[in-house]
Amino acid sequence: MLQISNLMVFYENALALNDFSMKVEKGQIVAVIGSNSAGKTTLMNTVSGLIIDTKIKEQRKGGERITLYGKIVFDGKDITELHPSERVKEGLVLCRERHPIFPESDLVENLRIAGYLRKRSEVSSTIEYVFDLFPTLLRLKTRKAGFLSGGEQQMLTIGMALMVKPKLLLLDEPLLGLSPIMQKTLVDAILKIRKEAGLTIVVTEQFARPILPVIDHGYVVENGMLSLDGPGLELMENPEVKAAYFGV
Amino acid sequence: MLEVTIIYGFINSIILALIALGFSLTFGISGVSNFAYGAMYIMAGYAVWIMINLIGLPFPVAAILAVIFTALFGLALYRLVLLRVRGMVISEVIATFGVGLAILELFRYLGFTGFEYTLPVFTDGSLMIGDTYIDHQRLWIVGIGISLALGLYLFTRYTKTGLAFRGIAQDEQTALSLGINSDRVAGLSVAFGSGLAAIAAILILPRGTISVNEGYDVLINAMAVCIIGGLGSTVGVIVASFMIGYAQMITDAFSGPHWKMIVSLVAILIILLVKPSGLFGKQKELEERI
Repeated sequence: MLQISNLMVFYENALALNDFSMKVEKGQIVAVIGSNSAGKTTLMNTVSGLIIDTKIKEQRKGGERITLYGKIVFDGKDITELHPSERVKEGLVLCRERHPIFPESDLVENLRIAGYLRKRSEVSSTIEYVFDLFPTLLRLKTRKAGFLSGGEQQMLTIGMALMVKPKLLLLDEPLLGLSPIMQKTLVDAILKIRKEAGLTIVVTEQFARPILPVIDHGYVVENGMLSLDGPGLELMENPEVKAAYFGV
Repeated sequence: MLEVTIIYGFINSIILALIALGFSLTFGISGVSNFAYGAMYIMAGYAVWIMINLIGLPFPVAAILAVIFTALFGLALYRLVLLRVRGMVISEVIATFGVGLAILELFRYLGFTGFEYTLPVFTDGSLMIGDTYIDHQRLWIVGIGISLALGLYLFTRYTKTGLAFRGIAQDEQTALSLGINSDRVAGLSVAFGSGLAAIAAILILPRGTISVNEGYDVLINAMAVCIIGGLGSTVGVIVASFMIGYAQMITDAFSGPHWKMIVSLVAILIILLVKPSGLFGKQKELEERI
């Protein structure tokens, strides 16, 4: 479903991703594990195309500081140069890190803004689905999103991405800064989304313990380069992964 | 006397709100301060005049065409000029002010000055409220002004484009990652603001002659209202319009009309000293901006 080949991203002279390749099959949950500055967010922004938008904006102002090489194929289509809003229409949706929401709108309005590409009837049925998935959000319906807790905002972020009805969902560090209980709630929700909506999911994480047991395949990134990959259970047994990403 | 002040203060406030609404809307959504706003207002006025007097179109058709034309001009301004300097505030101000200056001075150069440049009123006649005469045009201003403000409120909350406006006003990257093309929506916001300037012009200009200098006054008034209300806040625009509107009328009534212009300038000074972000400014966290 998603095939990334030999991706290289430069910010001016700094190499953020170096010859990175990965593959995601339909229906899989794939994790990208790496520490800070490993290149996880750059990878997510490149796949979702946000980096293209930044690049275009810089070019208009007369500068060119971002360089991209490589190829990204989604659903059999080369999307390497596609604008992010077009990629969303293709079904590729990113939840950016640190649960970005629209802080001044209430929770339901956040979901309605996220339903921009969908028909009115689809919007209301998907909102119900989101409340089914995260019952906690139901009683916070009219709360301004900026006043929600971190965990609630993360649920909302995922809910907003679901409003778009994606085929492939990219989650950039969804568990960042959350309590173990909240992490479990979210991991359960991720599993449920895959099962019920038939989604393919790519998730990035620094701390591998909560997510590794449920993934089909994992990639470990270090300094922008792929250091190893394999099925989730295999990675769990790997002593290097254990030492670096399990906090033991 | 008091009755006149209250009624005309109200009308004056609605006029100020009408003038400031478009300027504030564009800024609230895309962060673009459109300093060509006053020029667009005057341009819409001259466009209607030209269509009626030189082309011979009926007034309603000319008015609608002028609104569409001004909105398209705003869109072109965004695509051709603002797109390149977006996010660089000083450049935006200089670029749009330059365009505004060029438009206004072009009209002056072409000789569009004099008393023959007037727009027709919507309906002739007047009304008595108590002992106060009000002409129909002022009633139109109040009616359309209030419905526009209400319409905008509903538009930004219950339509797809309106919700997209609210989205990119708050977080452009997030909106983008949800499939909202932020460039297109920002362009639309400038077009909307320009269209509102044209509507304001068509309503307000029939009270006098169209003059190039009024373009500068409109910009100053729009800025005064927005600075006091807080840039980008619609609630702020309305509250500030009423404050300045009544302050002007009261000054006019009790100390003479020559003090009237000073009111808004003094108000700007006071607000910049006391609360530089304005009464409802977006610097205040979690604030309604649209």
